[in-house]
Amino acid sequence: MEEDKVSLAGYFKDFGRAVKNGNIWTRLSLIIMGLGHLANGQYIKGCIVTAVEVLFAWVIALIGGTYWPKLSTLGTVQRKESFDPVTMTKKVNNFDNSLLILLFSIVGIVICFFFALYYIYNLKQIYKVQQAKEAGGHVNTFREDCREMVNGKFYVTLLGLPTMGVVLINVIPIVFMTCIGFTNYDIDHQPPTYLFTWVGLKNFQTLFTSSVSDSFGYVFIRILIWTIIWAVVATFSTFFGGIFLAKFINDKRTKLPAMWRTFFVITIAIPQFVTLLLVGKMFGNNGIVNGICSQIGLTDFLENIGLVSKGLGYIPFLSKPGWAHVMIILINIWVGVPYQMLSATGLLMNIPTDQLEAAKIDGASERQIFWKITMPYIMFVMGPSLVTSIIANINNFNVIYLLTTDYTTTNMRFATSHGKEVDLLITWLFNLTNNYSNFKMASVIGIITFVICVALTLLSFSRLVRGDREEEFQ
Amino acid sequence: MKKRIVSLLLAASMVATLGACGNSSNASKSSSSSSAKASSNASKADPVQNLIKNTKGSVDLTLWVSETSQYQKVMKEIVNNFKNKYKNVKLNITIGSESEANTKDDLLKDPEAGADVFAFADDQINDLVKKGVLQEVSTTYTYDPKSVDTDTAVTASTLNNKLYAYPMTASNGYFLYYNKDVVPDADAGSLDKILADCEKANKTFGMELSNAWYLYSFFKGAGLKATLKDDGTTECDWNSKTSNPTGAKVAEAITKAAKSKAFKNLGNDDQMSAVKDGKMAACVNGTWSSDAVQKAWGDKMGAAKLPTYTVDGKQVQMGSFSGCKLIGVNAYSKQTGWAMLLAEYITNPENQMKIFKATGEAPATKEGQASSDVKSSKALNAIIAQSKFSAPQRVGANFWNSANSLGQSLAEGKYSDAQKLLDDAVKGITAAVK
Amino acid sequence: MAKNDLSKITSAENPVVVKAPFSKRVVRPVLRHLWLAFLSFIWLIPIVWLFVTSLSGYPGINTNHFFPQTWSLANYKKLLFQPDTVVNFPAWFKNSMIIGIFTCLISSLFVMMTAYAFSCMRFKGRKQLMSFSVTLGMFPGVLSMIAIYFVMKMIGLTNSIVGLIVIYSAGSGLGFLILKGFFDTISVSLRESAKLDGASELTIFLKIVLPLSKPMIVYTIISSFLNPWMDFVMAQLMIRSKNPKNWTVAMGLYNLVQKTLVGKYFSVFCAGGVMVAIPISILFVLMQKFYVQGITAGGVKG
Repeated sequence: MEEDKVSLAGYFKDFGRAVKNGNIWTRLSLIIMGLGHLANGQYIKGCIVTAVEVLFAWVIALIGGTYWPKLSTLGTVQRKESFDPVTMTKKVNNFDNSLLILLFSIVGIVICFFFALYYIYNLKQIYKVQQAKEAGGHVNTFREDCREMVNGKFYVTLLGLPTMGVVLINVIPIVFMTCIGFTNYDIDHQPPTYLFTWVGLKNFQTLFTSSVSDSFGYVFIRILIWTIIWAVVATFSTFFGGIFLAKFINDKRTKLPAMWRTFFVITIAIPQFVTLLLVGKMFGNNGIVNGICSQIGLTDFLENIGLVSKGLGYIPFLSKPGWAHVMIILINIWVGVPYQMLSATGLLMNIPTDQLEAAKIDGASERQIFWKITMPYIMFVMGPSLVTSIIANINNFNVIYLLTTDYTTTNMRFATSHGKEVDLLITWLFNLTNNYSNFKMASVIGIITFVICVALTLLSFSRLVRGDREEEFQ
Repeated sequence: MKKRIVSLLLAASMVATLGACGNSSNASKSSSSSSAKASSNASKADPVQNLIKNTKGSVDLTLWVSETSQYQKVMKEIVNNFKNKYKNVKLNITIGSESEANTKDDLLKDPEAGADVFAFADDQINDLVKKGVLQEVSTTYTYDPKSVDTDTAVTASTLNNKLYAYPMTASNGYFLYYNKDVVPDADAGSLDKILADCEKANKTFGMELSNAWYLYSFFKGAGLKATLKDDGTTECDWNSKTSNPTGAKVAEAITKAAKSKAFKNLGNDDQMSAVKDGKMAACVNGTWSSDAVQKAWGDKMGAAKLPTYTVDGKQVQMGSFSGCKLIGVNAYSKQTGWAMLLAEYITNPENQMKIFKATGEAPATKEGQASSDVKSSKALNAIIAQSKFSAPQRVGANFWNSANSLGQSLAEGKYSDAQKLLDDAVKGITAAVK
Repeated sequence: MAKNDLSKITSAENPVVVKAPFSKRVVRPVLRHLWLAFLSFIWLIPIVWLFVTSLSGYPGINTNHFFPQTWSLANYKKLLFQPDTVVNFPAWFKNSMIIGIFTCLISSLFVMMTAYAFSCMRFKGRKQLMSFSVTLGMFPGVLSMIAIYFVMKMIGLTNSIVGLIVIYSAGSGLGFLILKGFFDTISVSLRESAKLDGASELTIFLKIVLPLSKPMIVYTIISSFLNPWMDFVMAQLMIRSKNPKNWTVAMGLYNLVQKTLVGKYFSVFCAGGVMVAIPISILFVLMQKFYVQGITAGGVKG
């Protein structure tokens, strides 16, 4: 079961060896991929492989012929139409659509990439079979090949469909959006009516410059800082909140733990966008909470001590920076703690009992046990998931988006960049694409968010994908 | 055998895709060639007859109109009449629910997947034309909007001297609602008096200052402007130091009004909630709220043009954005001819009255607005009275955010230098699109 | 249970404390439960507001009162039996249910397949592929939405339930980490011995590993089933139809709180929220045991 070390050089060296040492049929397979299989007596396989090659050639001829030549300019012919009032029909010229050019080119490249992998693999296979044949070994029949797919090469069967899905839904869109960051795709260059084209690093420059009417740089830094604060605070507050709540409910002195737990779990069952919109309305400038606060005099009190500016007449729970930041985090605790409580409940039940008993016998107090045994255990198990939650919170769209729909910034720099003080990078870029069709800037922001997440992960998270502990557990 | 299945499937899906794409381009070619043929053997006779003659097979059209049941019901009726009018052609018309306010956003995401005919609010015309999504109304076949509809409505459908849409209703603007118990008719003409009355009765006055759509009324009233330039940016002189009154004076006047205990900077929902509870005695709002206000205040409901407000000791009439709902034809429609006929049919004078009767929104026709039915509606009267002081919404994309922000600052009144605040806001409003 | 054992030890060690002082015996438990009650109260307020507003006779948002002034069942009636031009809850529910079921079938399958391949098999490029998958998952999803739209348009799957199922489930292979962690804990010798008995990898996957992973699979199924009920952003983009009968629950409900509709449909929206909560709550109650186990089990191996 030992894994072969993968090295790029070795990978191509094998290929070179196959070409160099292969017989005529193997070498001819460089052109017609099935020939080697046919020569080795694997007829069905040979035919299928050749069919794949033909299909590939056809697809690439279509994409390559139509879209690749235009990739460098992303199209030059703009849409023109003319309406004939007598026949009431319309003529449209054969226009270029930059978006489709880019998209199909990327699809073509992705197909080429996969085909190249398969091409190299195929040749090595043929060479291997040739060697086996020369040595008088066994050559797999088609049936045997198929059986291999659910056994030794089962992983190919397993990963095939999911990989296709991921390529379709993740890889192609991500490559596409990343490319957009280097174009001028915005409200003035929107296909199909208009063309967009490559602009190099200009959008990155825009992001890092700053003036009142051109404030992307300023807003970016401010929103980045808040995004990081938010991600860390939101993650840790719900994490510890959940653990303490679970501990409290599962304590033997608490009666009816199942009932209490159900109270909190109910909040998960209602879709977030419903509860968040409701909570947002409750804390609105004219909402119920404000009504109560002004009735009991809290609003006046806060005005007097200067926490609310004089004469405002309401507490700006979700409408002023500062207040809104705190409220969002508090509301997020409301949203997130029940989830954490659920998982922590499971954990607390699974703590190895021997350790706890040993501690008890040694006379440790309950508090000591909690901090010395329970918490380290929880941290050991849940630690890695903390990093995942931080990443998830950096990309946490719902909470911020739904709570700040009524927020109007008074900072002109934010306003001109269509941002708000309470925006995360993700909500900001959503707003940019959805309401202002500013795809190029959104893409740049997205790329940078991505880079930050990846850096964070590399710093602290590599153990998750590191295989070292796998065997240890097994 | 390894990646075989993967590549096969991938390739197959690609082929399907390319096939689909190829078809569409073929289709556009064939349609253009057939139209060329048609025009060559078309007589100078009636274009509509030409269209009917040249239409083979069925015609699929999608129509987007407001989601309210009143609209949907009346549109169903109108569409059925339309089908009956052209009995010989197989027309499949689907009516979709789409709020006029969202039409632009939805269409621009993918115009090719949008409706053939759609209703939209006239402030979107600029973006829709700029993005090439609106079909120009170069010729009309059954009636002429320019002669039938009011000048305001025609202006609202026109850009760069070209007509781009068919006016449907003309009551999408805002005006003043007041409760006659608190604000007597005589006081409704002056913001100062309205606020004083409300304060006295311990009631409130609602206007959403942090929404640039409403904020505009103060500046427009004072003769300052925010209009669209040819390059898509906004021209704005709200910070003018030379105008009379100056921008700063207007800003201070707004803040002074907003400082009143009665003045509440609230959005539509909050206003209606306060009206229902009897806390609010006057508000600046539109016809969409008229049912709710009517229900809360009954006979005591008054509606009037916007009041005057005090700038630098003088009374200034507040302006407004005029609002029309228009019917447009998608430039990417595959059935341009039929789409135009349908759009015309929906907005012809007779059907405008039908829509008015069903939805209570004022027709855009001159005749319709003068009819006794329209005159008997308080809200519509108010909006027609206000239309003298209104201008069509022609502002660039960067207007809204910066102006909203300005409105919020003015409502809170937390600024030291009005001129600087305005300068910053105007910089944002007039900024080029980045 | 560990807890019970502990309590026995405590009492055995302190036989002297037969009667604790009053404060310890009465005040503390009362305080403890009061505190819990207070927390529950805070957590339940919005839910209660949702529920009472769904029974309100006034259709708009009532921002000044907690309880409605008039009560009525009209909102539920409207939601369930009177589909109109913006509300068609039965159709939404049906669509979401179809999407939910297929999504959870396909994505659970995908997750199990990738997790097994990465955990139980060894092949060239495995670690690279895993790192790559984890990295991919970090790209802000909101950004790639518009690109996904055009990819789906390319395949001709916009505006259809099938398209949404593809979107929700196709990328699910990336979510293998938790389940892989669980598979890692299944002992290698089990599989080895099966292999000696001549079982193929397929047999091991179906007959040995999957049955052992029930709690985790339930967890995966629940979380993938919930997705289509909660997502309104992607659904709004993909479903271009303006006929309410083609919408999903999340999309339809979110549409009701738009500026133009909220004044007439807010309480209907609340009723919709309550209606959605019912199937999800049932699912939770049925699967709660597995759910708790599932999360934990995944966490055991980081």
